[in-house]
Amino acid sequence: MMQPRRTSPLSPLVQAAPALPAAALFFVGPGAAIVERSGIPFVVLAVVGALIGYAVFVAVAWLAWWRRTFWIDDDGDLRLDSGLVQRSARRLQLSRLQSVDIVAPFLARLAGLVEVRVEVAGAGDSRIVLRYLTRAEADSLRGIILQVTRAEESDDAPQPEALAQVPAGRLLAGLLLRSVTAGLLLATILLLVVTSLSQGPAGLVLVIITGGLPILSVVTEFLGNYDFRVARTREGLRIQRGLLSTQSRTIPPDRVHAVSIVSPLLWRHWGWVRVTITIAGVEGDEVRPDVLIPVAPRDEALRLLAEVLPDVDVDALPFESAPSRARWRAPLTWRSLACAITPQVIATRSGRITLRTSIAPHARVQSVRVTQGPWERRFGLASVHADVAPGPVDVAGRHLAEKDVAALAPREVDEMRRARLRG
Amino acid sequence: MDSSADAFAPPEAGWIAVSPRLATARRVTLVLVYVVVVAGGVVLALAPLPVVWLVVYVVAALAAFVWTWWIIGRRVRSFGYAEREADLLVVSGTLVRRLVIVPYGRMQMVDLRAGPIDRWLGISTVQLHTAAATTDATIPGLLPADAAALRERLAARGEERTAGL
Repeated sequence: MMQPRRTSPLSPLVQAAPALPAAALFFVGPGAAIVERSGIPFVVLAVVGALIGYAVFVAVAWLAWWRRTFWIDDDGDLRLDSGLVQRSARRLQLSRLQSVDIVAPFLARLAGLVEVRVEVAGAGDSRIVLRYLTRAEADSLRGIILQVTRAEESDDAPQPEALAQVPAGRLLAGLLLRSVTAGLLLATILLLVVTSLSQGPAGLVLVIITGGLPILSVVTEFLGNYDFRVARTREGLRIQRGLLSTQSRTIPPDRVHAVSIVSPLLWRHWGWVRVTITIAGVEGDEVRPDVLIPVAPRDEALRLLAEVLPDVDVDALPFESAPSRARWRAPLTWRSLACAITPQVIATRSGRITLRTSIAPHARVQSVRVTQGPWERRFGLASVHADVAPGPVDVAGRHLAEKDVAALAPREVDEMRRARLRG
Repeated sequence: MDSSADAFAPPEAGWIAVSPRLATARRVTLVLVYVVVVAGGVVLALAPLPVVWLVVYVVAALAAFVWTWWIIGRRVRSFGYAEREADLLVVSGTLVRRLVIVPYGRMQMVDLRAGPIDRWLGISTVQLHTAAATTDATIPGLLPADAAALRERLAARGEERTAGL
């Protein structure tokens, strides 16, 4: 079907590139003595050292490149043979194809190369990454793979349908205006003003922390969630994101255990929300996605939510609010505390500055917990928790009236049993 | 307050209490911890420090000992469980009260374990695991025969329920 071939001959140059700074540093250390004795300028030494180190790494990468071939065999499987001494042969069944992604990491892009990631459904050997091909080669390979897949399927599979996309401007604004980030940045500005007025350097250390942490988190999240796109595929929602390196993940709807709609104070003016999500773990799974959409208008986010949690009307949940005496236990957040049970899901609400609505389908709730601290008992309050798989979502109706909790807990247990019977 | 308002109301069959030997086991552990505490006191007595330090230390240690001794009794009495038709209930805690309801169909694993002190006193602990890490269903202080029987029943019921899927 396709002759065995190698990746682009420029690949070793790109793959060895991360060694450049390391090699330079290595030669700078012992180099100091040579500089003193021979008078060779420091810069020259560093550059020469880096180049020698780089050359060694390129040579190793070249050998690996030379021994690495890929092709599509007559059974319609993608094969990859690699390894210098220890040979490895990998084989992906293209009939179970999940995605073919062409990604351009930063360094490869400089050399005009791209990376092709092929993923198939199922556990075990489910992924091959080809580093690196030229753009044209990558496109033609993708074409061949899709052609093979289509030939094996009688009905033509529906193309992935784009559902949502996060523009870079909105992402950046959203990240800067998250409650904790905005709070820390504000504190930094105040500290800077105070320090400059009092002319004392003591505050500067704090500034590094209060200013550095949020900036670091904004940058990381921006790079990670840049060009965030959600599309509907046959297997579920596909999430693609990332600037320096692109990630692609598919969320099968039957593995969604809980979701949370998060709305920080400073986002509410635009009606933006973030949706976090708990996906059931599978042994040996790679990093699971925990964000369904990082920042989006509420309508758009709710449309995405409907894809993974159908038959739930988030705006019409019959919330049972905490009584006003809950203000003695939770003076800031008592107004938003609430819990709702519908035939499909249990939902809870919490938070004041950052509002959270968490939802879990009854079929995914593992157990129900009721807790009551001494202060809660004093005011006739109690909390009800729906335990779900580990993840970012916490479904807890806190500080509700004890008599409401006494009714909610058995009801949830009932609904869990009914959901189980329905399958 | 009427009984319908009590979120921790016992089920019809009532709670099954755990063995008072659990209190003994925990008090033995407490005494073992206090071996270290007393050693600290001896060091303090030998050190060239004002006597008032030693007095404060002894009073604080004694108060903590008496209070913990007493609270262990209350906590052990607060443990209770009930096997209902479709789920297991576990109640615990005096200061912070907890009730866990685990449907048999959600159980993934039932653990039976006993540490050295537990074995010496003849008690063991049964713990239920679900797919959620936050499920906190632990029944300590069961007599070994009861614990083994409980685990067998739970495992059988779990299989029965999951088989229906």
